[in-house]
Formats: sequence, C-alpha cells, structure tokens
Amino acid sequence: MTEERLNELARKLGARAAERLNVEATAQKVVARLREEPVRRTAWISQTWLRIAAALVVVVGGGLVLRQQLATPGHTPGVSRHTPHLVADDLGDLSTDELRDVLTSLDDIITTDNVAVPDSTTDLRQLDPQQLRAVLRSLEG
Amino acid sequence: MSLPQPVTADPPSDAALIAAWQRGDERAAAALVERHARPLARFLAGAGAPDADLDDVVQETFIRAFRSVDRFRGQCQFRTWLLTIGGNVLKDFGRRAARRRVLPLDEGVRDVRGDPHQHAEASESEALLAAGLQKLPRLQREVFLLRAQQGMEYDDIAAALGTTSGAARVHYHHAVRRLKEIVK
Repeated sequence: MTEERLNELARKLGARAAERLNVEATAQKVVARLREEPVRRTAWISQTWLRIAAALVVVVGGGLVLRQQLATPGHTPGVSRHTPHLVADDLGDLSTDELRDVLTSLDDIITTDNVAVPDSTTDLRQLDPQQLRAVLRSLEG
Repeated sequence: MSLPQPVTADPPSDAALIAAWQRGDERAAAALVERHARPLARFLAGAGAPDADLDDVVQETFIRAFRSVDRFRGQCQFRTWLLTIGGNVLKDFGRRAARRRVLPLDEGVRDVRGDPHQHAEASESEALLAAGLQKLPRLQREVFLLRAQQGMEYDDIAAALGTTSGAARVHYHHAVRRLKEIVK
C-alpha cells in the first residue's frame, strides 16, 4: 500500500454519506436553529453562577450539619458514620438506612416548613428511598 | 449596437459571507452551510461519525462555528477551522453516546458494523482504511484526513489545530505509517 493509494482511498472516504446529505435542508435547519436559539452569553453566565452557588450551598450546608453533629454533647465519633456522605457523595449512592440516618441527624436543625415531606405521611421513617431523596434534595435548595 | 454583456459576479468569499452573517444576514449563513456542508460531512464520516448521526453532527458543527465566529480571525481557511470544530463536536457526540451506552466506549464513535448496504458499497480497502483510522490517536486521524482527504496545506492545518507546521507533518507521517500496516 503506497501513500498515494492511501490518499486516493481517503479522498473517497465518506463521499457516499456526504452525497446523501440534503445540503439545502441542512442549511435551513441551521438557520432556523440560529434564529430560535440566539447566543445568550449572559444566560450562560447566570446558569454557571447558579450552579456554583448551588454547589457551595451543598458543601457549606453539609459542613454545618457535620459540625453541629460533632459539637452535640454525648456524640461518639463513629456513631453517625453515614453523615459525611451528605457532603461527599450523591444521594443516589445512599441506601435507605443511610438516608434515614442522615435525616435523623437533620431533624434537630431544620424546620419542617421548608421540607417537601409528602402530605400522606408525617413520619420520615415511613418514606420510601425515593421520597427520602426528594426530601433531602429539597434541603439542598 | 452591441448588447450589454451579462454580469457574472464571482461568488462571495467566505470572509464576505462571514461578515454578512455577523451583520445578521441569514442568507449568508445558509450560503456558508451550502458551500461547506458536504466536505464537512466527508470529514466527519471519515473521522467516524455514524451515518445515522451525520446530519446532526454537521448541523451542530455549523451552529457552534457561527456562535464562535468572532474568534475566527482568518488564521486559516474557514473550512479548515470548521472541520476542526467538527472534530470536537464528533468527540462530544461520542462521549454522549458512550454515556448512554448506545456504543461501547472501546469502539469509539464509529459503529464499524454499520449499515449492510453501506458495507456492500464500500470497497474492502476503504473499509479497512475507515477501521484503521479509528485505531489512530485523534490528532493523527484528523491531520491525516485534513491533508489526505481535504487536501489542506500543513500551514493551514497547523494554524487550525494550534500547532506548528512541522508537528502537523509529523502527525501525518505517523498516521500514514500506521495505516500502511493496517491497510495492506
């Protein structure tokens, strides 16, 4: 196989797929998308700042929870071993028991007014994993 | 009395169309798409874009190019710049496909099994070359395609990829050497 032959093959590569492309239709679609989705640099910046702020809330909030728990009299290191997950991991990684542990640790410091507890129950221990995650996510803001 | 000669205007340059688009002329954008869509599609297909996604990848490439056209300062041909954006778009499509587990990660972005009809059309050597290109590092693959398929100059390729002409030449020669081993 010579370099010339390789180049010859390369020139043919994709030619059939390109021929099947409806260029006029593609041009119309591109123009339509440019019209419908104008560049919103400020919107992008706002979204980015919102994400950063949300991440900060989660980290700082998680840190406060942890600090409060460590400062609780009678707290024994290692008893609430699941709480750090709130700071470090995704809620999806926690088991039902771990989610309940985290919720129990939050009971003392939150007001239930701001928490999305389903109407059908008043006891957090009756919630299924999906509902527990929803409650925790509502706490993240 | 002689009749006036019909005026045959040269087609506007890419630079003129870009300037017109920046002033808000949508026809200029459409003209740029019509001018460059097929070479872009050939490049993307050669670089591994699945047939089913080709139209989407082409569209997305143009959208990204038009939105960042302020950054294009004529450092290379518009087409070369566009093709390198296409390479980035294709990489992102491949990542998303891998996340959706539509394609296994180790098969890269090209479904080499492809459409049976397409395979019937393609010569064995072309199919070998297509498969061989998927085994190359991305930079080697793109430099090879820009040079061998699109006929770009090394200086132009280097400017588009932000490297030196010598480095582009080296990437091309590495690609050729590897492909010669694969496509015998």
